[in-house]
Amino acid sequence: MISAKRIIGNLEEAISKANSEMDPKIVELLDLYDGPFSSVLRENAAMAKDSGLPICQDTGFLEFFVFQGNEVALEEPIIETLNSAVKNVYTDSPFRYSIVSDPLLNRKNTGDNTPVICHLFPIRGDELEIRFLVKGGGSENLSRLFMLNPSATVDELVHTVVESLRESAARGCPPLKVGIGIGGSSDKAMVLAKLALTRSFDEKHLDKDYAALEERILREVNDLKIGYQGLGTGITAYSVHIETYPTHIAIMPVGLAMDCYIARKGRVIFED
Amino acid sequence: MRIEELRVGDELSYSGEFLIMRDAAQKRLKEMIEEGKKLPVSLDGAIIFYAGPAKPTEDSFGAIGPTTSNRMDLFLEMLFMKGVLATVGKGKRSKQAVSLCKEYGRVYFLAPSGAAAALAGRISDMTTLAFDDLGTEAIFKVQVKDFPLYVAIDSLGNDVFISE
Repeated sequence: MISAKRIIGNLEEAISKANSEMDPKIVELLDLYDGPFSSVLRENAAMAKDSGLPICQDTGFLEFFVFQGNEVALEEPIIETLNSAVKNVYTDSPFRYSIVSDPLLNRKNTGDNTPVICHLFPIRGDELEIRFLVKGGGSENLSRLFMLNPSATVDELVHTVVESLRESAARGCPPLKVGIGIGGSSDKAMVLAKLALTRSFDEKHLDKDYAALEERILREVNDLKIGYQGLGTGITAYSVHIETYPTHIAIMPVGLAMDCYIARKGRVIFED
Repeated sequence: MRIEELRVGDELSYSGEFLIMRDAAQKRLKEMIEEGKKLPVSLDGAIIFYAGPAKPTEDSFGAIGPTTSNRMDLFLEMLFMKGVLATVGKGKRSKQAVSLCKEYGRVYFLAPSGAAAALAGRISDMTTLAFDDLGTEAIFKVQVKDFPLYVAIDSLGNDVFISE
């Protein structure tokens, strides 16, 4: 049995860190940027790390990807454990509560940044792996679903993604990390796009053709020259990650999701 | 600072006042205007900062930074009609927003996005003016010091995001 207390403890630490400490790769690239606001962005990275203040005031919603082995026993439904961890971190830290209880009729703030979003992936074994994204609203609004024709070519897919980013990337706090989900169903493609964002910057697709496609899309997105803060200087995207799934003969769903320049994420692993 | 002298690409260090409001507060103001009610705040001469502050700490008024302005383009003319001088946010705005800036002779500034800890240190005072029930989406008045701004749309209707 993996205790809820143990999961909560490890997650609290990982979620706090994701909000206040930039990935070293991002810091390294930020040091190379010399366009508008470059000095305040560097000052911010250092200050957040030292003070525990968040890097961005939009401390987001928490989206979890839970890979649970069939031999893993839990004390309570995993979503309750995840909600407790997020509630603890957000009420104890100088983070913002950004969740409203009802999306349309009564947008009342829940006051603890819960509930979280949780996707379950059943696997074999005694391991419990929890990945998460701290997802801001600005980049989330750029998410798109394209139901392409099943006979669509690679060029058409690339064009669809790149044109979408040409229109929207400047609103998502670039440089962006781009996640693309191809296949499955409409909803599966979107989840895959998000799952792709949980990969590290240098984690390429295992299939060499998809890895090459990731590279090609990254190159074309960077050719847009949207740059840091959308102001034309520096790179437009850090990386592109593709996840795929078998699909129906009549469809080709393509989900597009992106992270802003601080690409907040984490991963914790437990053995039962 | 004279608003009409600013040009796209100008970088400023601003010390003064902002009124903070975002989606929910502006939606409510619009409903109040439509119902003929008196607004709880005066917008005349104000610079509106599209933001939602995080929680204050012992040392600061809390992490703060711009949110995406484009979502609030539909309220921009309402703000200008009430005397707002400029808006501050992040990202590209609609063509309508650009023409409104030109028509009313107003300016749109970018503030650095994803720089919330650094910007927290540039807030010297913050008070809640209205709509307390909206939490981070309430209307706040803040005093800022050496706050970095970048002119993205000027009063002639030039837009930094339209380069081609």
